[in-house]
Amino acid sequence: MKQLKFYGLGGQGVVTAAKILSVAVSIHEGRYAITVPAYGHERRGAPVYTDVMVDQKPIQVNCFVYEPDIVVVLDEFIVEKHGIDVGRGKDEDTVLVLNTASGETAQRYADQFGFQTVYYVDATQVALDTIGKGIPNGSMLGALAHTGIASIGSVESALEEFFGKKAGEKNARAARTAYDNTKKL
Amino acid sequence: MSHYKMLDGNAAAVEAMKMARVKVISAYPITPQSSISEKLSDLVDAGELDAKYIRVESEHTAMSCAVGAQLTGVRAATATSSVGLALMHEILNVASGCRVPIVMPVVNRSLASPWSLWCDHQDSMAERDSGWLQFYCENVQDVFDTLLCAYRIAEDRRVQTPVMVCLDGFFLSHSMQKVLLPEQDEVDGFLEEYIPKNAYLNPADPMVINDLTPTDEITEMKFQQAVGFAQAKVVAGEVFADFEKEFGRHKGVVEGYRAEDADAIIITQGSMSGTAKYVVDKLREGGQKVGAVKIVMFRPFPHEALRQACGSVKKIAVLDRTAGLGAQGTPLWLETKAALDGDVDVRSYVGGLAGRDISPMTIQKVFEDLHQEAPCDEVNWIDCKDDPMHLREVPLHV
Repeated sequence: MKQLKFYGLGGQGVVTAAKILSVAVSIHEGRYAITVPAYGHERRGAPVYTDVMVDQKPIQVNCFVYEPDIVVVLDEFIVEKHGIDVGRGKDEDTVLVLNTASGETAQRYADQFGFQTVYYVDATQVALDTIGKGIPNGSMLGALAHTGIASIGSVESALEEFFGKKAGEKNARAARTAYDNTKKL
Repeated sequence: MSHYKMLDGNAAAVEAMKMARVKVISAYPITPQSSISEKLSDLVDAGELDAKYIRVESEHTAMSCAVGAQLTGVRAATATSSVGLALMHEILNVASGCRVPIVMPVVNRSLASPWSLWCDHQDSMAERDSGWLQFYCENVQDVFDTLLCAYRIAEDRRVQTPVMVCLDGFFLSHSMQKVLLPEQDEVDGFLEEYIPKNAYLNPADPMVINDLTPTDEITEMKFQQAVGFAQAKVVAGEVFADFEKEFGRHKGVVEGYRAEDADAIIITQGSMSGTAKYVVDKLREGGQKVGAVKIVMFRPFPHEALRQACGSVKKIAVLDRTAGLGAQGTPLWLETKAALDGDVDVRSYVGGLAGRDISPMTIQKVFEDLHQEAPCDEVNWIDCKDDPMHLREVPLHV
C-alpha cells in the first residue's frame, strides 16, 4: 500500500486533487484508492490537507495517513507562513512533490525535512497559462505522475472525466505541461 | 452489467435511493449529510429521478412528510445527521409505531454539545430505542449494499419497521472509494415495487391512522413491534443470502474476521471495522492470535449471532464511538456483556469521539490493554489525553 498526504491552502483544490488521483488509480488503472479528507474550519487561504491510500487490493484501513510514502505540497509557503510540518511521519524513502519554480526552494525543502527525492514544477504558473486560473491541483497531478503512483495518461483521463469535456481538456493540458516541465532534484 | 464508479458515501447512498425508485423526498440539509439532500435535488431537477422533492423547514417536518408520503404507497426518502436526527426524535417513534417502513441514511455526527461537525455514534445511539432497525456500514460499497438490503428487510410483511442505515460522517460520507454499481434492471429484480402491507392513505378508502389508542390495546401493539424486530433477524439473514446470490458480495448481521481461533477479539461498528481488520492482520503477522468482530445490525441486536462469532474466546474488547455517559459501560458493551457468558472478560472502551481518528495505533492500544491481566471494571477512555481535567486556561475579564 502507498500512502499520500496532500498539503495546500483552501481554494487550491487540494481535496479535489486527491479525488481525481483516486479516480485515475481506481477507474483507469484497475487498482484501489480511497480518499480520507480532513474537513475542518476551512476558509479560502487557510491550510488544508487530505490523504489518499492506494493499493493493488481493496483497502481495509480507514483513517488518516500518519506515515506518508509521498507528500504533495501545493503551496511552497505553507511551511514558513503557516508552520506546517510537511515532513511529519516521513521516512528516508518518502518522496516530495512540490509546487515551486525554484530549484533553491526545492533544495531547502530537501535539506530541512530530509527528502531524498524531490520533484518540483511551477504548477501555479502552468495553471495560469493553461486554465487561466492559478489553481494548481491539475498541474500538480501531472508532476505527481513522475512518482509512478499513476500514469500521466490516467491522470489526464481522470481530469477529463471529473471536470467534463471543456474544463477537463484544459486541466489535462495543465497536467501534461507540468509533467513535461517537472524537474527532479 | 455492474460497473465501477468512484463515489463517496453520500453519493453511494443517493445511488441506492435512486435505484430503489423513491417517489417523495423530504430532506433538510445538515453537515455532513448535505450532499445527499443536494444530489437528490439535482437528480429530480435533471429529470433523472421521477420523484417529488419537498423543501422542508426542519428535520421534524422532513420525517413527518416521509411518514405521510410513504403511507400513500410509495417509497419516501430522507436523510439526516446529529442534531437533525435528534429533532426527528418524536416522529421517529411515530414512523416505527405506525409500522411505516421508511429507509433513512443517518450520517453519523457527534451530538451537541460541545458543538462538533465530526463523526461519532452518539446521534444514532441516542435513538436506539426509537423502534427503528439500525445497520452500520464499514465502507462505501457497504453503504450502497446495505441500503438496498434495508428496503427489502424494512418492507417485508413480517417486519414492517423503519431502518436507519448509519454511515460515519466524513470517514464514509466524504471518503471516495471504488464502488461496484449494478444496473437498474438488476436492482429492480432484487427490489420489487413498494406495496404497503399495513395502514395506507387513500382518499377513496379513508382510514384513521395514529389516533388516540386505548391502554387496552397498546401493550399488544408494542408486542407486535417486538415480533417485527424478532422477525427482522430472520428476514435480514434471508435478504443477505439473496443479495449474495444476486450480487456476489457476502453480508451478515455480525461478521467475524479471523476470530475462529483467536485468543482475543475486538468488537467494532462502522468505519473503524476495516482498520480493526488491518490491525488484526498486522498483529497476526507478529504471532498474536487476535481477531475482530463487526456488528452490522445493532437493532435488533443479534445476540445469538454474536455468541456464535465469539465462539469460546475469553478476552473481548468492545470499542464504542459513543460515551454512554452514566451507564455501567458503553452501549455496544452492554449488549455484548448481556449476550455472552459471565466468565468472558468483556471490557468497555470509548474512542473516536467527535472525529478523533481511530487509527491502527488506537486499535493496537486496545489489544495491548486487553492483554493486561487485571481486568478493569470501568470504561476505558482509550484515546483520551493524559490530563483531561486541565484542558486549557480560560482568562477571566471581570
